[in-house]
Amino acid sequence: MSDHSELSGGEEELMTPAELISRLEEAWLNEKFSPELLENKSELVECVMEQLTHMEENLQRVRKGDLKASVHRMEIDRIRFVLSSFLRSRLKKIEKFFPHVLEKEKSRADGDPSFLSPEEFAFAKEYLANTEVYLRAVALKHMPPNLQSVDMMKAVPEPCLDSFVFLRVKEKQENILVEPETDEQREYVVDLDEGSQHLMRYRTIAPLVASGAVQLI
Amino acid sequence: MDAQSYMPVPPGVGMEENFFSLDDILLSHERLPCRTESAFPRLGFLEKSSDSRDIPEGTKMEMPLWLAKGLYERKRRVLSVELPKVYREGWRTVFGADPTVVDLYKMGPYYYGLGSQMLHFESPENPEIANTILQTFIGRFRRTMDSSQNAYNEDTSALVERLDYLERSLFKAGQSGLNNFQLWEKGRSSHLTASSLVINYRKRKMTDLQA
Amino acid sequence: MFCEKSVELIRELHRMGDGQLPAFNEDGIRQVLEEMKALYEQNQTDVNEAKTEGKSELIPSIKFRHSCLLRNQRCIAAYLYDRLLRIRALRWEYGSVLPTNIRFHMCAEEMEWFNQYKKSLATYMRSIGGEEGLDITQDMKPPKSLYIEVRCLKDHGEFEIDDGTVILLKKNSQHFLPRWKCEQLIRQGVLEHVIS
Repeated sequence: MSDHSELSGGEEELMTPAELISRLEEAWLNEKFSPELLENKSELVECVMEQLTHMEENLQRVRKGDLKASVHRMEIDRIRFVLSSFLRSRLKKIEKFFPHVLEKEKSRADGDPSFLSPEEFAFAKEYLANTEVYLRAVALKHMPPNLQSVDMMKAVPEPCLDSFVFLRVKEKQENILVEPETDEQREYVVDLDEGSQHLMRYRTIAPLVASGAVQLI
Repeated sequence: MDAQSYMPVPPGVGMEENFFSLDDILLSHERLPCRTESAFPRLGFLEKSSDSRDIPEGTKMEMPLWLAKGLYERKRRVLSVELPKVYREGWRTVFGADPTVVDLYKMGPYYYGLGSQMLHFESPENPEIANTILQTFIGRFRRTMDSSQNAYNEDTSALVERLDYLERSLFKAGQSGLNNFQLWEKGRSSHLTASSLVINYRKRKMTDLQA
Repeated sequence: MFCEKSVELIRELHRMGDGQLPAFNEDGIRQVLEEMKALYEQNQTDVNEAKTEGKSELIPSIKFRHSCLLRNQRCIAAYLYDRLLRIRALRWEYGSVLPTNIRFHMCAEEMEWFNQYKKSLATYMRSIGGEEGLDITQDMKPPKSLYIEVRCLKDHGEFEIDDGTVILLKKNSQHFLPRWKCEQLIRQGVLEHVIS
C-alpha cells in the first residue's frame, strides 16, 4: 500500500491509505459518541469511497482462491462497515434533531464550517417538510384554527450537551474550566495531559473535539 | 453494535418535559390533590359528587398534572396544588433514614419524575423536596447498578419490583450492557440475527392464528 | 374528565415498547377531534359573553378548556410522531418493501410519508462519495468473516451472488455465502446465521 490519495482541505494534502483509514476511524468514534452532530467530513468520505473502488479494482486482478484475495476482501468489508456506521450515526442524529440541525445550518455565518453536507442538508429539509405535511394532513388541519400548527423547534428535543463522554487527549490542554456539579462545589480548572483519559461533560470539551485535540472513545 | 432502529423520544431531563415523549405524557397524567381558588362556571359536570352547574371555589378535587400546570399562575391564582403524601415531610423523613427500603414503584411509579415536576408549583418546601429526591436517588443508585450487573447469578425480580420508572430504565440499560459484553466475550457479537421487529411480528401472527 | 380518549392513544403505543406498529386508530383520533371541536365551540361562546357582557368570572373555565385543547393537540401530535419513528424503523429492518400485514396497519398518509422517506434516503445514499453511492442500510454489524453458514427458513427462490452464480434458496437448505450478501435476508428472517 504505497500509493497516495489526496485529501484537499484548502491546500492539497497527501495521505497514505493507512492515514486515510485512521482519520475515518477517528471521525467515526467522535461521531458515535458525541451527543450532537459534528462537522461534516464530505471530503474524507469521498476519499474513502475512492479508495474502496480502487481496492475493488485491484481485487478483480487477483486470481480467485488466492489467499491474498480474501484478505483484501475482508479489508474492504471492514472499511465499508466503518464508513456506513459513521454515516448512519450522522443520519440518525439528523433525523433525531432535524429542526435544530437545520436552524443551526441556516444561521451559520459565511466561512464557518458547515455541519451538514449538501446531501445531508437536502435530506434534512425533505424530512422536515415530509413530517409537517403528514401531521397537518392527518390531524392538525382538522383542529380548531388556533391549534393547527406545532412548533417543531419546541416539540423536537435538542441534543443533550450535558451528557458525559469518555475521551483521550491527543494534544495537551491547560486550564480547562469545569463547571460545578452541585451548589456546594465551585468551578475549577484542570490540565489535560497528552495520552490521558477522562470522563467529562461533553459541553466542557466540545470545542476540543471540534479542533481534534481530544478523541472520544 | 448499532442500536435498535426504533428510537422513541426520551423523557425530558429534570423539570423539563419533552412534547413528543410518550413517557412524559403518561407522567403528566398522574393525578394531584388540588383545591379550586375560584369558581369554574359551567364545568360542574366534571365533579361527580355534585350536581351543580359550576365547580364552586374551595372544591377539593384531583387533577392531572398537565391541567394543574396549565391552570397554575402566580398572580391570578385559580388553583392551589397540594403536595402528594410521598413528598411531604413525614415521608421525607422516612426516605432520609433509609431510602433503600422504600417501594418506589408503589409510591410512584414516577417518584423522581413527578417530584421534579412538583417544583413548578413554588411551594416553600421545594428546596427540601429537591434535596430528598436527589439523596434518595443517590442512596439507591449503587444497589440498582450493582444488581443490574449481577443479574445472571442472582434473582433480582424482587428488587426490580420496587424500582420507580427511572430506576427501571437504568436497570435495563445496565443489563443490556452486560448482555452485549457477554456476547462479545463469547465472540458472538458478529452473529447476524433477524430483526427483533420481524421476530415479534411473527410471534403475533402465530398468536393470532391460535386465538 | 376531558382528554381521557387522547391519553388512551398514547397508552396504546406505549404498551408496545419494542417499536411494533399497532393498527392506526382512526376512530380514536376522530373522537379526540370531536371533543376538541366541542371544547373550542364552548370557549368561543364563553369568550364572547365575557367580552360583551363583561363576565370575567368565565375566564377560569376558558383557561381550563384551553389547557384541555392543548393537551389533546399534544397527545395526537405525539401519537402520530411516535408512529413515524416506528415506520422509519421498518425501512431499516425490512428494506423498502413492507409486508402486507404491516401495511394494513398504516393509514394512507403514513404510506405517503414512508414512500417519501424511502425516496429521500435513496437519493441521499446514491449521492455518497460523489456518484458512487453506498447502501448504508447494509453492514449493520462489524464483519468477522467473509463467508458465513446460513440455513434457509423459507422458500425464497433464486439468489445471485457476486460472481454471478445463482443458487436456489429452498426451505431447510444450507449454504455457505458471502456475509454481506445475506445480511438483509437474515434480518428479514428468510435465512438464519448458523454458528457451529
